[in-house]
Parts: sequence; structure tokens; C-alpha cells
Amino acid sequence: MSALSNAAAQVIAQAGETGAVDPAAAKATAGAGSAGFAYGLAAIGPGIGIGYLVGQAVQAMARQPESAGQVQTTMFLGIAFTEALALIGFVVFILLKFV
Amino acid sequence: MPGLALLTAPIALFAAEGEGGGGLQFPPVENLVIWPDWFLADTPFAFNKIAFMSLVAFVVPVILFLIAGRKAKAVPTGLQNVMESSLDFIEVQVIKPAIGPDGMRYLPMLMSMFFFIWIGNLFEIIPTAHMPANARMANPLMLAIVAWVMFIGVGVKHHGLGYFKEALFPPGVPKALYLLVTPIELLSTFIIRPFSLAVRLFANMLAGHILLVTFSVLCITLWGFQILNIVNLLSFPMLVAFTGFEFMVAFLQAFIFSLLTAVYIGGALHPAH
Amino acid sequence: MLLAALNLLASEGGEKAVVNPVVPDSIGEIFWGTVFFFLLWIMMRYVCLPPLLKVRDDRKNQAQADLEAAAAAEAQAEQVRRDYEATLSEARQQATQTVDEVRASADAERGKQVLAVETEIAEQRQAAMVELDQARSTALGALKGDVTDLAAAAASKVVQSPVDPAAVRTAVDEYVNRSGGSK
Repeated sequence: MSALSNAAAQVIAQAGETGAVDPAAAKATAGAGSAGFAYGLAAIGPGIGIGYLVGQAVQAMARQPESAGQVQTTMFLGIAFTEALALIGFVVFILLKFV
Repeated sequence: MPGLALLTAPIALFAAEGEGGGGLQFPPVENLVIWPDWFLADTPFAFNKIAFMSLVAFVVPVILFLIAGRKAKAVPTGLQNVMESSLDFIEVQVIKPAIGPDGMRYLPMLMSMFFFIWIGNLFEIIPTAHMPANARMANPLMLAIVAWVMFIGVGVKHHGLGYFKEALFPPGVPKALYLLVTPIELLSTFIIRPFSLAVRLFANMLAGHILLVTFSVLCITLWGFQILNIVNLLSFPMLVAFTGFEFMVAFLQAFIFSLLTAVYIGGALHPAH
Repeated sequence: MLLAALNLLASEGGEKAVVNPVVPDSIGEIFWGTVFFFLLWIMMRYVCLPPLLKVRDDRKNQAQADLEAAAAAEAQAEQVRRDYEATLSEARQQATQTVDEVRASADAERGKQVLAVETEIAEQRQAAMVELDQARSTALGALKGDVTDLAAAAASKVVQSPVDPAAVRTAVDEYVNRSGGSK
């Protein structure tokens, strides 16, 4: 957080030198910086999770091709639940970046 | 975290320069998702592009089913075949695994959910529209509330008020643990479920929309001569590839939304598992 | 510290309307979306799906009926085949029986005819034997008279005196009978 506040402080300092404080620019800068980190961090866990999940599902389907349909349905359910975390991270990204 | 300062410094630089109108101008987000009202502006019934997409998503399935059902024959041909296979798809892939054989009463709701979401999503890649209806929070929120009311209603209808007791105080848990379990169940079942349903659909479509917009904006820069164009040349194949990917996502999100709704209804119908 | 700075800055410059893409800010979209979704649901429930579901059920029932009809036809074919085989075996049995009967009657006829022929042959042989015996006894009688006369003449010549013809005949008969018995 110190890095981000440094960035914001940097913008404020630049504005102070020119004599006009631009709060929107400061906020946008800090928001853009933290937004990228928010989404990047939120994507790690679901990325690992979905990879593991689909890998296991493929293994299950290769071992028992006759139960492929059921495995596929369950796999999509699991992906939906796991992906939700990344999507909430994306929403946070949007909130930080554009609001 | 001193390293982050190095990382954020270029961002600050870029943001500061972006005001001056360099080569790359990303449109502000309200240009991406906010649409002007067509008529009935400034009333609660303002009709804009998103509402028109909802209208199309209502009209197209109805017309297709009416044409297919009007000349329905025992040996299906053409359109009837397609519509019947969509019916079989919902029955076999959604209802059978999630609810069970007694779930055929929910077929109309799940069919309309599936088609409403799918056609709304398809506008993401239809030229001249290029905006998924579900990238606005309105439709996902409404559908999630419908699903929420539906599964609570099914639970109350089939188990009375005991449904809430079953859901909040699951049997087989030591008494002391209810202090921990009940708030978690309350939160996850009755608050996070509709929220995550809506956010999953909305965020997927908005992310895809922004992704396509990003690559389109990058393609526009190809008209000028810049040193960056060597890298930017990749943006057109990426745009094509992501259009195909979003076509798949549009279907997948509609499928997952109906499947999750069916799973919640099935859970309310048979709370044992 | 960052949040405090941001809040300060935001409170200072809030002239621009902030657009939040996450919050549903347009009531019209929610209204029309709700209206069209419920219309779609009602149409699906009462107009669109029933004909297709009915056709599907009809098809399922018809397939069931066709399967049952096929099973019935198969059973009937099996019945027909069994009848045919029964008829066939009956005919074969009848044919065998007829052949046996004919063969038996033919055998009987043949035996009867053979018997008749044999009887006739035996009668004829009997008659021939009788005739032969008569001829032999006749010839034997004539021969015996001649031999008696000859023997009496020869004996009278030998003894130079008349021989009693009766005694001669007795001796000759005895001799002839003795030698004739072993003819």
C-alpha cells in the first residue's frame, strides 16, 4: 500500500509544483495501480484451481469414458464456483479502475 | 514493498501522458456500457439498447418455438429437430443431473432462462450490436432474484418452514457448532448464492466485452505508422480468436446459469444430499 | 493513509458524475428485462413447449406401441412356424404309415399268392406221385405175372415135373417184394 500511496503522493507533489491539485488524476492513478494488482492477485488462486479441476476431470473421463457426461456437468459446476473468485476480483478491478 | 514503487511508476507516467492524447486512447467506461434512451427517456420505463436486446431475446425463441411447434410431426425435420434437441439438451444436461426425474416441471423456466441469457450474450459478437445485454447488471440481477425466489419457494412449498430449519441447522452437527455453522449457512445459501449467480454472469460478459473493445482499439492503431505496430499486428488475430472464445463463453454462461439454478432448486427439493 | 488521501481528494473534486458499471443504475433496463423474461416464461409454459412435448410423448408412445406390435408379430410368426412344422411332421408320419400299410398288404398278398402257388404245386406233385405209383404197381403186377410164368416154366423144366403155380407165385411175390422194397 505504501507504494500506491507513494504514487498518489507523487501526483499530488507534481500538481503542487505546478500550483493546481488535480484530485481526479491522483485518484485515477492510485486506482489504476491497485486495480491491476487486485485482479492479478485474484486470478492466481482460481487459475490454479481450475487447472487442477479440469485436469482431474480429464483423468476421470479417460478412466471411465462411460461416465463422461456426468463428470462434464460436475466439472462445469466446479469451474463456475471456482471462477466466481476471479470474477469478484475482476469486479473489484472495475470498481477501482473506473469509479 | 519497495519493488512495487518501481512497478507503479510507469503506470503513473502513462496515466499522466494519456491526457495529452497519444497514440492510444482507451474509451472511458461509460462509453462502453451506457446507452442513450431511445424513448420514454427520464422515466422508470426508459427504453434503450439493452431493453431492445431483452425484447429480441424474448421474441426470437418464441418465434422459433412457434414455427417448430405449429407443424410438429412425429418425425422431426429441420427447425423442429433443432428446437427438440435444445429441449433434450436442457433435459439431459441440466434437469436430470441437477434435480432428477421429477424436475420436468421446471423445464419452462430453465428453457426461458437459457434462451434469454444465451441470446442476450450473443449480442456481444453480433456486428452492429457488439454489446452483451448481460454486461449490464440489470438482467443478471433480475434473473438471479428469480432463481433465488424460485429455490426458496420450492423449498418452502415442499418442506414448509422446515426448509429453513434444514438449511440453517443441518442435521448431524453437534449443537455447539451451530454457533459457527448457522451464520455461514445463512450467508452462503441466502445471500451469496444470488449475488454470485448475478456477478458470475455479469462479470464474465463485461470482461469479454472489455477484452474485445481492447483488441478493437488496438486494431485501430494499425492505421497509423508507429514502431509499436510490430507488436500490435497480433491484435487482429487475437480479436478474431477472442470473438470465437466469447461465442463459446456466451453459450457456457447461459448453460451454467441454468445449471446452477437447477442445482439450487434440486437442493431445495431434496435437502438430504 | 491512502484511503484518507483519496477521500480528501474525492471530496474536493466531485463535479463529474461517477459512472459505476457494476451497480444497476438504469431502472428502465431492469423493468424491460423483467417484463420480457416473464413474458418469455409464460409463452414457454403455455404456448411454445406443449406442442413439442406432446409430439415427443406421442413419439415415445408410438415407439412403445411399435415395439409391442413387433413382439406380437414375432410371436405370431413363431406360432405359424410351429403350426407348419406340426403339419409337416404329421404329413410325414401319415406318409410313413401309408407306406407301411401298403408294404404290409403287398407282403400279405405276395405271401398268399406264393402259398396258393405252392399249394397247387404240391397238389400237382401229389397227383403225379399217385399216377406214378399206379403206373409202377401196374407195371410191377404185369412184370410179376410174367416172372411167375417164366419161373414156373423154368422150374418145371428143371425138375421135370409140373410145379404148383400157386407156390411159384408166392415165392416170386416174396422175392419181388423183398427186392422191390429197396428200389
